[in-house]
Amino acid sequence: MKLLIADDEPAVRDLVHVTLEGDDYEILEAADGVEALEVARGEGPKLVLLDIMMPRLDGLEVCRQLKSDPDTSDIVVVMLTAQAQERDRDQGLAAGADDYFTKPFSPLALLNMVERVRQTQSQAD
Amino acid sequence: MRRLRVQLTILLALLGLLVMAWGATIFLGARDAARNSASVQLTVDRVDGLRQAATRLSRDFVTMDTSRRAYLLTGDQATLQAQIQAEEHASEGFGQLRRLALPWKGLPPLVERVGTEYRAWVRTGRTEVKARQAGAQAAARVAAKGFADRQFRALWERQTNLEDELAWRQAAYASSQGRTYKAAQTLAVRTAVMVLAAVLLIALYLRRAVGAPADALRSASGRLAGGDLGTPVELGVDNELGAVASDLETMRRRLAGRMEALERLRHLSAQVVGATSLQRLAEVVLDGLQPEIGATRAILGAARPGGDLVLRALAGFPDDGGVADDIVKADAEIRELLPMAALRGGQVVGMANLERVASSPTLHDLVARTGVRSLALVPLLSRGRFLGLLALCWTQPHPLDREQEALLGLAGNQIAGALEAALRLEEAERAAGEARAVFYAIADGVLLTDPFGRVTAVNRALEALTGWTEDEARGRTYAEVLPIAEDQVGGPADLVSRYGRKVPVTVSSAPIFDARGRVVGGVDVIRDVSKEREIDEVKSALISTVSHELRTPLTLIHGFAELLVLRDMPVERQRSSAVEILDASRRLARLIDDLLSVSRMESGRLVLDPRPLDLGTVVERILSPFRAMAATHTLRAKLPGSLPVVWGDPDKVEQILTNLVGNAIKYSPGGGEVLVTVEHDGDSVQVSVRDQGIGMSPRDMGQLFEKFYRVDRDEVRRAGGTGLGLYITKRLVEMHGGRLWAESWPGVGSVFSFTLPTSDELAGSGR
Repeated sequence: MKLLIADDEPAVRDLVHVTLEGDDYEILEAADGVEALEVARGEGPKLVLLDIMMPRLDGLEVCRQLKSDPDTSDIVVVMLTAQAQERDRDQGLAAGADDYFTKPFSPLALLNMVERVRQTQSQAD
Repeated sequence: MRRLRVQLTILLALLGLLVMAWGATIFLGARDAARNSASVQLTVDRVDGLRQAATRLSRDFVTMDTSRRAYLLTGDQATLQAQIQAEEHASEGFGQLRRLALPWKGLPPLVERVGTEYRAWVRTGRTEVKARQAGAQAAARVAAKGFADRQFRALWERQTNLEDELAWRQAAYASSQGRTYKAAQTLAVRTAVMVLAAVLLIALYLRRAVGAPADALRSASGRLAGGDLGTPVELGVDNELGAVASDLETMRRRLAGRMEALERLRHLSAQVVGATSLQRLAEVVLDGLQPEIGATRAILGAARPGGDLVLRALAGFPDDGGVADDIVKADAEIRELLPMAALRGGQVVGMANLERVASSPTLHDLVARTGVRSLALVPLLSRGRFLGLLALCWTQPHPLDREQEALLGLAGNQIAGALEAALRLEEAERAAGEARAVFYAIADGVLLTDPFGRVTAVNRALEALTGWTEDEARGRTYAEVLPIAEDQVGGPADLVSRYGRKVPVTVSSAPIFDARGRVVGGVDVIRDVSKEREIDEVKSALISTVSHELRTPLTLIHGFAELLVLRDMPVERQRSSAVEILDASRRLARLIDDLLSVSRMESGRLVLDPRPLDLGTVVERILSPFRAMAATHTLRAKLPGSLPVVWGDPDKVEQILTNLVGNAIKYSPGGGEVLVTVEHDGDSVQVSVRDQGIGMSPRDMGQLFEKFYRVDRDEVRRAGGTGLGLYITKRLVEMHGGRLWAESWPGVGSVFSFTLPTSDELAGSGR
């Protein structure tokens, strides 16, 4: 299954990489929002992990654009952010995100979540 | 002075004497008259007896003559007998007459002359008779001779003389009796007139000496009682009443003097009431009292709440301020000199000769310099409270008399009232001035309204907030000037100014009460909270930033650690995860260091430890780790051949350079060259860090070095950072006595430069 991790912090991308390593995932990376959109549209990942605070285009906007485009609206979007306040969560969900992870997050919980998405996807397929 | 009592006594005694004299006169006159009347009567009676005796004698003479003639003619014995009888009778009558006439002056010679004629006649008669007895012829011859007849005629003449004399005397005595009565009557009437005149005189005298002056006294005392002190009391008499009048006059003068003084006091009181400042009060008091007591200068002191006297005003002194200074300098000595116990008791105290009572050289000096030789100290008490002291000054020694003391005591009461009012006014004005100053200067908008909600005053801050000037706002309704919904009062609200600007404010309101608890208006305090809101926003942005910055390394640490613990990983992977954890930990530590640095700098706890530094070595040292990390950047140092030693804290100088180079790399995401230049420039060394990054517009640079400021651009905001780096860097440079500045061109790059002093002295403020 293809998934995209968009975060300006390379170390965070590394973390996701390491977390999902060896489980047959094809992991795409993006360092900013614009790149994330391009990759999502171009590669058609099933799941996008989106950081909110990213250069050029923030995660919320990326999410909004993905969800408003019928070609990409099926992609499961999980927000991954350092902002933990209620307000940010609501903003994320309002932008159409399917789930929400707050940094620092548990890599295993993330792994579980990704597994669930894969199962859902494979059932759908 | 003639004593009225003596005068009256003398007068009455005189009157008594007069009355007694009158009585005596009447008594004596009456007695004399009575006595005279009796003696005259007796005399008249005796004269009458004499006349009768003379008449009888005359009759006897006639009988004798007739009888003798008849005998001579007839010779009749009977006639002879009758003649003899008549002769005897006549002799007897003659003897009687002679006896009766004896006490009467002038009568006996007349009687004797009659007697002589009588005896001659009788002898002749007897001769004729004898001749008759001898015969008729003889007789005829004798008769023819007529001796006897001639003698008889002589006798008769004498006898007639005598009778005439007696008749005259009788008439004289009778008229003398009438004269005596008349004289007594006249005397009585005269005396009565004199008594009457004396009584009249006494009455007149009494009227003049007692009655009129008594009336005048009565009317004068009436005038005095009625309050007319203007008319002098004058009697013009020199007795007890005159003395009373003169006493009354003295009294009148003193009273008039008192009244005049009171009048002047009243005038003074009216004047002092109008004196609103202590200076004015002192001047008015001096003006008012100078004509009364002659003092030419005045010093006014007021008691402080603690009771100490403080010089407040001078009047009549030369206007150069020196006297006030002198008095203030001699404060302690003056305090010692003042009889405070007596003054607090309300007693006016005179100091007639200051040169004598001045106890210290300072006081002697003060006396000499001010020219004040004597004082009257008038305590100013109101309801028993000692408010202050008025010192009236003479330039000559001046003993205070009782009257002046009393006057000053009275004046003191008036002045105390005025002083209290003036002090109260001063306090009220001060308080009002303070309130006004606070009202207008306070940064919050304040609006005062009357009970009907009309604006009475607005302060400058509210003028700025609402756009209404105070003059425009006055009289308008509250809602017009301050359009805020009722339910927003007391909490946050949005104020729309006259020109449509929207300002976030908080409004707190309170009613204004008067002394009786009635609402006389309202006060509204409008605080512009846009700054607070901004700060709130900045704060939450900061928290957001810090939280993001903290959470990112924490996420890495947490994530890799969890993976290390819970997952089997190849050794290389384990190692790289550990490196990630290490990096993240360093990053976290740096962030915490930054925050602590700021905190330390702001509380002044950050202290430099300066020592000589070789900048070239420092630059090379900090560049090497960056070179290792930054693959897309070229890091280059440009150092002159020789560099002077600079003074600095090695850690802090490294921190400055690290921050600047770190920023240069961070904000040139496209890579490029980062050039560090060190130049010697006079007393200082200048270090510049040049990059080829995104650069900044002049607008972005405005607050570049402010704490938590982050250029509001996506690239910058999303590049991470706390907004503290440049702030800390600038503070550190300044603590070294240097200067930090930036030049930048959007899209071209930035140059950050700073100087460090080469001298030993650190001019920085951070030491």
